[in-house]
Amino acid sequence: MRLTRRDFAAGIAAGIAAPYLIKSAHAQGATIKIGMCAPVTGPAAESGGYAVKGARLALEAVNKAGGILGKQGELIVEDDQTTNPGIVLAFSKLAAQSDIVGFLGSIRSTQVHAMAPDVTKLGKPVMIGGTDPNLTHMGNQWLFRCRPNDSYSGRVIAEYGVTTLAKKKWAVLHSTDAFGTAGGKALTAALEKLGAPPVLDQGYANQSQDFTPVVLAIKQSGADILGSYFTFENDLGIFARQLRQLGVSIPWVGSPSIVNITALKLAGPALYNTYGVADYAEDSSAGSQAFGKIYRDAVKVAPDNQSSWTFDAINVLAQGINKAGTTDPAKVREAILAIKKFAGAEGEYNFDQNGDGLHGYNIVKNDKGKIVFDKHIEFND
Amino acid sequence: MDLALQLLFTGIGIGAVYALVALGFVLIFRATNVVNFAQGEFSMVAAYLMVVAVEAGLPYWAAFIVALLGMALLGVIFNLGVYYPLRHRTYLPVIIATIGASILLANSVLAIYGPQPQVLEGWFETPGIQVGPVYLDSQYLLIIGVTICLVIFNFWFFEKTLLGKKLQATSQDKEMASLLGISVSTMIMITFIYSAVLGGLAGILVAPVLFVSIQMGSTIALKAFAATIIGGFGDVAGAIIGGLSLGVIETFGAAYISVPYKDGFAFLVLIAFLIFRPQGIFGERVAEKA
Repeated sequence: MRLTRRDFAAGIAAGIAAPYLIKSAHAQGATIKIGMCAPVTGPAAESGGYAVKGARLALEAVNKAGGILGKQGELIVEDDQTTNPGIVLAFSKLAAQSDIVGFLGSIRSTQVHAMAPDVTKLGKPVMIGGTDPNLTHMGNQWLFRCRPNDSYSGRVIAEYGVTTLAKKKWAVLHSTDAFGTAGGKALTAALEKLGAPPVLDQGYANQSQDFTPVVLAIKQSGADILGSYFTFENDLGIFARQLRQLGVSIPWVGSPSIVNITALKLAGPALYNTYGVADYAEDSSAGSQAFGKIYRDAVKVAPDNQSSWTFDAINVLAQGINKAGTTDPAKVREAILAIKKFAGAEGEYNFDQNGDGLHGYNIVKNDKGKIVFDKHIEFND
Repeated sequence: MDLALQLLFTGIGIGAVYALVALGFVLIFRATNVVNFAQGEFSMVAAYLMVVAVEAGLPYWAAFIVALLGMALLGVIFNLGVYYPLRHRTYLPVIIATIGASILLANSVLAIYGPQPQVLEGWFETPGIQVGPVYLDSQYLLIIGVTICLVIFNFWFFEKTLLGKKLQATSQDKEMASLLGISVSTMIMITFIYSAVLGGLAGILVAPVLFVSIQMGSTIALKAFAATIIGGFGDVAGAIIGGLSLGVIETFGAAYISVPYKDGFAFLVLIAFLIFRPQGIFGERVAEKA
């Protein structure tokens, strides 16, 4: 057999084109891909593991129920290393895959701020768990929040402490990162509105090894109640122990991290009898209980908000795509914003035009290590 | 006054941890002329070894011995695997190798044990005692006590024993020590073992206070490194004074000036020393070594 110049050229052309044709056919026919930035390494690696498990459980259920646009959903996880540069890199890796139709960002506001410019450039829906109110109020139309924001948590903490616990001399303690600063501001504003401006507004840097100066400042301020926004459970654990050791026993109402599984494990009895605003509380609704059962059966660990928000994020995103009937980002966006009365693990989703799905918080109490649901406070504004 | 006393105690306690890790930096620097950036990871590995041993059902004291023996073994492996193959090269490849080793150690523990931070109970059932207005955390008391004992031990060991003098001779002039019949490689091996055990001891002691996590080593090591420079690179007393000073300065700075800038005070002091007294409080000129 003689190889002509034409045969040779055709062979080369086929050889070059084949991988692209196969890849394209594979992309069109296989799965609907969802990208997820999660802290696989770094200080939040443990909670990151819970987040990935929550997302996978949701996707399994979605796939069993018929999938997304009739195809199986597939989760692609990139490690954000619990850092801002880490999540920018992780998101850019995922964004480079054109067949990924939607994303899960971070539960940490500071990381969401870091990735936000790239989200705008990409123009695809990104579900987030960061609770800094600014995230959905800074003109980025592609961020959809699957947790209530801190304008609500601040109001709930203030309301519960002032009205239910009847305390008016507040010490507000918060991390100095984006989450903590926004939370501290929201709590201070809510307290001022209730006529109880804080007697101490104290920031701290993440990954502190010692909180003695902070505890002594609280002691000296004469505060009769503490409100807190902690970003990392390690910090919360060290602070809680030192607070009790140095004899401070005032009531403490904290942001959701105070009821995280990791925080409960590290701080132990030092967190007994504290209160928390929790976006996820197992007994707060039928949807929360259903998720709690699925999660406990699969993971053998008590559920918390680290896994519940990703569980909801996948369900909301899948429903948005299915309702839109396409993966076109603009149509998916409209479909997500139209979601009302969706019963999730975190509560009932009613998306507003800013991209906020939830508008209330639960109050829970740490009763000797067991998290007990007290009440849910919902806002209409 | 009460506030100042409480801050002083806490500052000395946390400073003693920096001092223990700084001591490891100094000993290796004296023996090899390089900075071991994996010194902080020695603390982390020892804390995890302790957790594993306690979980395996060993009594606390036995777990402590097992963890320190594990660290001695790690010191041998570190010497043979990281320092020894590069011993005839300049300081730079060795330093880069120690940075690589620190990343390897952190990620190995992450791969084997997972990312979950762990709780390690302290030595004493009583968390602390109240002496007048000051609360004395029992773990910090232990850390301070161990640091004092180690200062005395180091003085005795390096000044009064033959082995200590051989180690000093090796650190001062390897060629001359070799000509005098001292086995330089054995002395360096012993230094690595001792530094790994010291780092491990710091990790085990501080674990009940800071919890056991992958990041604990790097957090402590950064401050310990600053303490080493402040005290004077290459000086044992400098490491102790530098560590204690740093702990006290950052605690008082946080209490009286600004909590969020707590780490800033430590590094401001470091920068001031680098500008005005780069050889540190007691140390020799760093520039000559480097």
